[in-house]
Amino acid sequence: MQSIYKFTISILFCLTVFTVQAQVAEKKKTEVKLPEVKLLNGFTVQVDVASVASSALNSGDSYSMEGGVQIDLKKKYYPIVELGIAGANKLSVDNIGFKTNGLFGRLGIDINLIKPKKDSKPTTNLFLAGVRLGMTNFGYDLTNVTITDNYWGGTETINYTNQRSTKVWFEIVAGVRVEVFKNIFMGWTVRNKNLIGEDKPGKVFPWYIPGFGQNTGSNWGINYTVGYHF
Amino acid sequence: MKQFIYILLIPFFLSAISCAADEECRKERIVKMDVEFLKKTFNPTNSTYTTGTLNVDSLTVQGMDSLGVMIDSILYKNKKNVTQINLPLNKFATESTFVMRFNQTTDTLTIYHTNTDLYLSLECGCLKTHTIDTVLTTNHYIDSVKITNHNVNTTDAKHLQIYN
Repeated sequence: MQSIYKFTISILFCLTVFTVQAQVAEKKKTEVKLPEVKLLNGFTVQVDVASVASSALNSGDSYSMEGGVQIDLKKKYYPIVELGIAGANKLSVDNIGFKTNGLFGRLGIDINLIKPKKDSKPTTNLFLAGVRLGMTNFGYDLTNVTITDNYWGGTETINYTNQRSTKVWFEIVAGVRVEVFKNIFMGWTVRNKNLIGEDKPGKVFPWYIPGFGQNTGSNWGINYTVGYHF
Repeated sequence: MKQFIYILLIPFFLSAISCAADEECRKERIVKMDVEFLKKTFNPTNSTYTTGTLNVDSLTVQGMDSLGVMIDSILYKNKKNVTQINLPLNKFATESTFVMRFNQTTDTLTIYHTNTDLYLSLECGCLKTHTIDTVLTTNHYIDSVKITNHNVNTTDAKHLQIYN
């Protein structure tokens, strides 16, 4: 986990340094003149194929499907809405069952870090960095929670059914988007997800959160999107 | 454009090095009541009591259910030089009785407690923790019992002091 973290951070860092340098070098030139950029430059409808692929590879423990709509403002700001459905059906080593299905949504904005160049032809490729605020309200069942008293004897099995939970988290996102054919874009984003708020100690809490993944305080996620630009 | 196509492949390398989640429980799951043995000695010169650790030569401890039937398994069997013991409280009853034989003298210690469910995680499941309410004892060997911590859970603590 540590190594992935370091690897991603270093990639992001390199790219940031690169863009900052480019920015400084170009500052004088861009001030001269640039073609006027429209405020609204259409929008992209995209589906995430990474979640579908990882659902298939995940031995049936969890699944996720999501899509989004991203608006292009001034070829620089890209507000986005992402919606999806996800769920899990997991059996622990002690046969405790966890089941959930739920909808989730995320709102956020990306900023394109590629500066338009005066003398080269405009590119449709994007290098994006952004943030998301995710939210989900979902129900879950936690079944066959067994307590055994090895000394005094006795066993108790508890089923926590129809539990409800609301979770909010934020994501730091970086990624690219490339026009592979006319108006068809492919791209990926790497995201670091962080839950806001903690579960009450001792009370039941969900093992999996739709849109967030396994209920650890912080998660990494990869999205791979295919989209059409209108 | 060309280099961007390579950039599209980066996530595959990233996903290749991601690792599987841990499915084993790595949390403390033992909930036991910690009992220490102490002795008060009277010091006649300045009329004060000093408290010191009591070393019980031989100790046997066994649980007894509410009907007075001894539990088959013996917790401590003729254990020598005992200064402290750990006892399991009943998870599904609010009363736990222990018959303790100190050398040749027998005492009965009854703990009244409440039990609470404590959910740890999907990997670790659920536990019962206890809150000690009252302690009753016979006074053949035992002089008195003091509750030093009412909450019996996974944190390491001393709960009872038994004085000779």
